[in-house]
Amino acid sequence: MTTETLTPTRERSFFENRVRAAFTQENIITMVVSVIVAAAVIVPLAVLFVSSFRVLDPGGWDTTWGLDNYFLMVTDRIIPKAFVNTLIISSGSTILATLLGVSLAWINARTNCPWRDYLEPYNLIPFFLSPFVGAIAWHNLAEPQTGLLNNWVRDIFGIEGALLNVDNIWGVIWVTGIFFAPLVYLFVVGSLRRMDPSLEDSARTTGAGLVRTTMTVTLPLVMPGILSGAIIVFVTSAGEFGVPFKLSAPYGWETLTTQIFSKAVGDDANHYLGSAMSMVLGIITVLLIWIQQRYIAPRSFTTVTGKGFRPNVLDLGPWKWLAFAYNLLFIAVAVVLPIVCLIIVSLHPVWTGALQPGELTFLNYEKTLFFWREDAIQAATNGIINSLILAFGGASIAMVLALVISYMIHRTKGFGVRLLDFLSVVPIGFPGIVLAMGVLVTYIQTPIYATLWILMLGYITRFFPYGQRNISSIMLAISEELDQSSRMAGASWFTTLRRITIPLLKPGIFAGWILLFIIFLRELSISIILFTTGTETLSVGVYYLTNFENEPLTSALSMAQTVLLLIAIYAFRRVAGREALTA
Amino acid sequence: MCAAETSGAYLEVQNLVKWFGNDRAVDNISFGIPKGSFLTLLGPSGCGKTTTLMSIAGLHSIDGGRIRVGDAIFTSPKEGLFMPPEKRDIGMVFQSYAIWPHMTVAQNVAYPLEIRNIERSEIDDRVAAVLKLVGLTDWANSLATNLSGGQQQRASLARAIVSSPRLLLFDEPLSNLDLKLREHMRVELKRIQNEVGITSIYVTHDQSEALVMSDEIIVMSKGKIEQRGGPVEIYSKPVNEYVSNFIGVANLLKAKVLETSEGGRGTVEVTQDGEKFQVPCLIGPGIKSGSDAVLSVRPENVHAVDDESQGTVTGECTHAIFLGSYVDCRVKWGGFEWKVISHPRNHPRQGDRVHLRFDPEHTLAVQP
Repeated sequence: MTTETLTPTRERSFFENRVRAAFTQENIITMVVSVIVAAAVIVPLAVLFVSSFRVLDPGGWDTTWGLDNYFLMVTDRIIPKAFVNTLIISSGSTILATLLGVSLAWINARTNCPWRDYLEPYNLIPFFLSPFVGAIAWHNLAEPQTGLLNNWVRDIFGIEGALLNVDNIWGVIWVTGIFFAPLVYLFVVGSLRRMDPSLEDSARTTGAGLVRTTMTVTLPLVMPGILSGAIIVFVTSAGEFGVPFKLSAPYGWETLTTQIFSKAVGDDANHYLGSAMSMVLGIITVLLIWIQQRYIAPRSFTTVTGKGFRPNVLDLGPWKWLAFAYNLLFIAVAVVLPIVCLIIVSLHPVWTGALQPGELTFLNYEKTLFFWREDAIQAATNGIINSLILAFGGASIAMVLALVISYMIHRTKGFGVRLLDFLSVVPIGFPGIVLAMGVLVTYIQTPIYATLWILMLGYITRFFPYGQRNISSIMLAISEELDQSSRMAGASWFTTLRRITIPLLKPGIFAGWILLFIIFLRELSISIILFTTGTETLSVGVYYLTNFENEPLTSALSMAQTVLLLIAIYAFRRVAGREALTA
Repeated sequence: MCAAETSGAYLEVQNLVKWFGNDRAVDNISFGIPKGSFLTLLGPSGCGKTTTLMSIAGLHSIDGGRIRVGDAIFTSPKEGLFMPPEKRDIGMVFQSYAIWPHMTVAQNVAYPLEIRNIERSEIDDRVAAVLKLVGLTDWANSLATNLSGGQQQRASLARAIVSSPRLLLFDEPLSNLDLKLREHMRVELKRIQNEVGITSIYVTHDQSEALVMSDEIIVMSKGKIEQRGGPVEIYSKPVNEYVSNFIGVANLLKAKVLETSEGGRGTVEVTQDGEKFQVPCLIGPGIKSGSDAVLSVRPENVHAVDDESQGTVTGECTHAIFLGSYVDCRVKWGGFEWKVISHPRNHPRQGDRVHLRFDPEHTLAVQP
């Protein structure tokens, strides 16, 4: 290396030197990304906040400032009921998902249940599928008149009436509960598996029996995981749009999300009232997530010592077959029955609730998938193309942002890192529909409205933290000295990123990319607020078909989405391995 | 360019200050070293030695002072200068070795040369030569993760020296190795550094490592330099209680200086639990007659004698442990327990009354 590059050729002023020192590759890129992320997260939430205080006059032409939107939360005819319904649904789903998630995690991690290693991936599948599609499938399984299960029961036992009915608030709890059970499962199974067996053994040696040990040692140790999972389920259920939209709203049980939706796009659209409702929902969920992140998640580390343990495995004796049957039953109701039902319904030209083997046809698939056909349904065919564009593009952009942000949080100790850390948690606290409402009121008068870009902006803002966590977990595990030694070897920041950091992070980047791909492919609650004709997504296509067409067409597109998701899930498992999701 | 650079030192650190929050991790230290020498920064964790090294490397910014190597100013906040680490032309060996797991050994070692856009054939030659120097020729094409700890350390060293950098930095490179390998690698590292002749700074908390390898040692504590000198000087003439205690083992007692004379000699009085004695000794720099000091005597310089008239202190031997080449004894005198090293053929037994004699040439009064 020559000396000229090292010695300034002329004296520079202090200021000039400082400016030169500040404009490094690292500083420029990280500054740009921070500003983008800060703008993407803060602006819509700020505009949402401001909008919630604008009151539409009765004629709908002008606005004044005031708290009227918030008074309506109490005085309106429907909104207070929607509030209560949301509370009931979220509480019920949380209880159901926690019972299912904890029991299944325990069976898989700590008992000798047969073939448990093969069961685990199937237990997790509902986590990746669309709950909206689950609701559609369960509607066709357990609708009082045409429900497949009800028909079978009537045929076999010759009884009148309907055994099951999911078209109500309990149906919403049922579907949401089984679809979100894997969330609790993921939060609990890790600490059950990695728990130091000597903690339980030492309780047993003091004379405590199995039940007592479980109650006094095992459960308290996994309690932070259970609570974390329960809070996440509560928040996710409160923000879930598809399931109540399909199962309860048409029958008189509105929720906050279905109400926000009707204020965003319906005939009585009122973005300002919608903003106020979004603020209320958002503040509740953000508070809960804050409690989880601040007080509960940190405590869960106490159960994990980091050593590789073989956890105690409990011999259930003959009861292991009961555990096995219980687990199979879960997979049946959460995965197999819905998919079978979608396939059956999608193959019928008209669905009357009875199998008609002579009538089976692929016409529904052709009309929803073959965009070149004359009779193709645009909303459905657009949906597939748009969703693939959004999933590929969105996941890629989000992972680039996630990479830079993770790098800043874990490697740069400069100014603004704490803010960035905070900004990458905030979106997790807001339901998609709330953030989408903010994006809508912010960008409705800009050119990006009515394009795919606004959807992509919403997707990335809401979900980049998921990708960021995938990268961060690996970045925490690899030593900073690996980067530093590259700098010392003479490589610039960017060369180090390209040749050292990114190759080492590859598994995390891939896993995060596929996870976002999956999430974007099934996304509904952001899309439903931000789509317009021409920018429908897969889930919006399903929404369109179930609202304006018939169940067989709906089932066909739902099935197409499910197949795409299953392929992506398989890829995710191949790339990420079994522990990748355990938070 | 600046007057300071006319001083002979090749690397010069002037008034370095680094804050971590409200802590002064490095508190206004200065030192310089000549080209080709091997300097060790020695001290317990948190003494600022690694922070000093990282400041030289450019892996973090500094809050005050100036670092210069040759005629290049590495960093000087006052002048607004900060040379990014990759421009500094430094080789560095990290504590965790930091061998990139997705590359082979040869690829790891070739990396600094590739960055410098050197021709492929020359890269291959230089990588082969340096791998031979560290003894990893047979491992050139294995993945870095298949190496043992000691081999990773060698690979890391090869990568650091392959580009003939102007400076070599070591951040506790041997602390993850087991004792035997560590002792072997000390000698190896020193041999290779001698051979390539690159000016080196070595950070460690292990005093024997520092004594074995260094041309010069800087003992640090709480962000400040306690003493600087060659290994022999640091060991035999510690300037204060801290250094006496940190380097090797010493009997340390509170003392009062009675008188001082020419040539740094004098007499001190030690009072302990009602007992007292006076002893002639060497007086450390900066200690005046009548001031408080600490008497520091290495165990090998305390002699157990039979003749009471030759002894300064009399006590009882509480235990004597045979350790092969020497015997480690403890002699109780009042509330104080003397550490004494005796010859295996002639040493006190447990329960013996023992008289201790101090050699004035190896008995020191140092600053508290």
